[in-house]
Amino acid sequence: MEPNELSRFEAIVLPHLDAAYTLARYLTRHEHDAQDVVQDAYLRALKYFEGFRGAEGGDGRAWLLAIVRNTAFTWRRRYQQEAGAAEFDEQLHSERIAEVDPESELLGASARESLHQALDQLPPEFREVIVLRELQGLSYKEIGEVTGVPTGTVMSRLSRARSRLQRALYVGQEER
Amino acid sequence: MMHGNTELQVDAFLDGELDSRDSREFERHLKECRECARLHDARLALSAAIRAELPGLLAPDELKTRIRTSLRSAAGSTVSRAQRPTIGWRSLALAASLVLVAAGSWQIASDRTAREALSEQVLTSHVRSLMPGHLTDVVSSDQHTVKPWFNGKLDFSPAVYDFAEQGYPLKGGRLEYLGNRPVAALVYGRRQHLINVFLWPAGPGETGGPGSTMHQGYHLLHWTTPQFTYWVVSDLGLRELDDFARMLREADSAARL
Repeated sequence: MEPNELSRFEAIVLPHLDAAYTLARYLTRHEHDAQDVVQDAYLRALKYFEGFRGAEGGDGRAWLLAIVRNTAFTWRRRYQQEAGAAEFDEQLHSERIAEVDPESELLGASARESLHQALDQLPPEFREVIVLRELQGLSYKEIGEVTGVPTGTVMSRLSRARSRLQRALYVGQEER
Repeated sequence: MMHGNTELQVDAFLDGELDSRDSREFERHLKECRECARLHDARLALSAAIRAELPGLLAPDELKTRIRTSLRSAAGSTVSRAQRPTIGWRSLALAASLVLVAAGSWQIASDRTAREALSEQVLTSHVRSLMPGHLTDVVSSDQHTVKPWFNGKLDFSPAVYDFAEQGYPLKGGRLEYLGNRPVAALVYGRRQHLINVFLWPAGPGETGGPGSTMHQGYHLLHWTTPQFTYWVVSDLGLRELDDFARMLREADSAARL
């Protein structure tokens, strides 16, 4: 690859590094795994860069996040096969149960932990739509591009994910 | 208003995904329907809590460095020319200064290697200039102070401009030694970023560029006018650096008229 081409690639993908890292971090739930996923995704993106140029000219964010997302899912499948995911989840669950307090106010001291835990408990297909919509402000159409599902599916996943978070947090469940 | 997928409707409304007609209709519905209104408020609270409590994350610097390094070596391995090993800045600076010491016997193998060697020297100069006390020998934002400062120090008079109005103020200048000759280094600012501009008289018949490369996170641009060879280097984004380079070239052609 010519140096100019690499510069052009970097100019497109490096501005989205924080978004890529955020998505990977929430999908893998581990800082170092997230870093490995992002690095791997950037190398894949470099390989597919030729294909991107033909694509309808977005700013590269959805394109890059789709690669990050797929890399994270591949990583997760591999990791789960190697490391017995049930046990791992079990441990997380028990920690959560200790901390989530039905009586607590949403924005009380443990809100941050509660939200993190509720989000962690979501299946990754739900978690990613929350991250993409709430943290990164993508439209339904863009989320569909990243996750490879139709807009209608994005809509229903997002709605179900929110309802689950809401239940987990007892937001809006109390009688007023 | 259809019920049955209340949550979808509320979410699409709050996410701005309803068209303006449906959106207005839903707003009217919210005033009449307690169930939807309560869900609407709960969703707003949830969204606010998520945004407040789960902020986006910043990629660690270490990851940035890792990615840049791995991209460079991956990109490098797809071309036929020999890969240059990745070397740290200290050793690069040391190597460059050794090159300068040995400059008398330094032979140019080809245009390409010459340009690569030059780009490494340009980078080294840039990085060295960022160390305390190395940036400028003449500190002034006045082009009429900076330009005469080079009198008697160089065998040419460099083009000095001030782009303060465009957001690239002149900071000063210094002497540098690049590619076997003393050259002018001019420093311009862009917000907290610094831009080094190196220039010296173009050789006979030389023209070319603009070309750009990226090394270690720095962008380098170079071009040759009938008068000068320019190298511009900064950690600024490529787009802004390109804008700056374009202003410089336009100012140069205007000055020649």
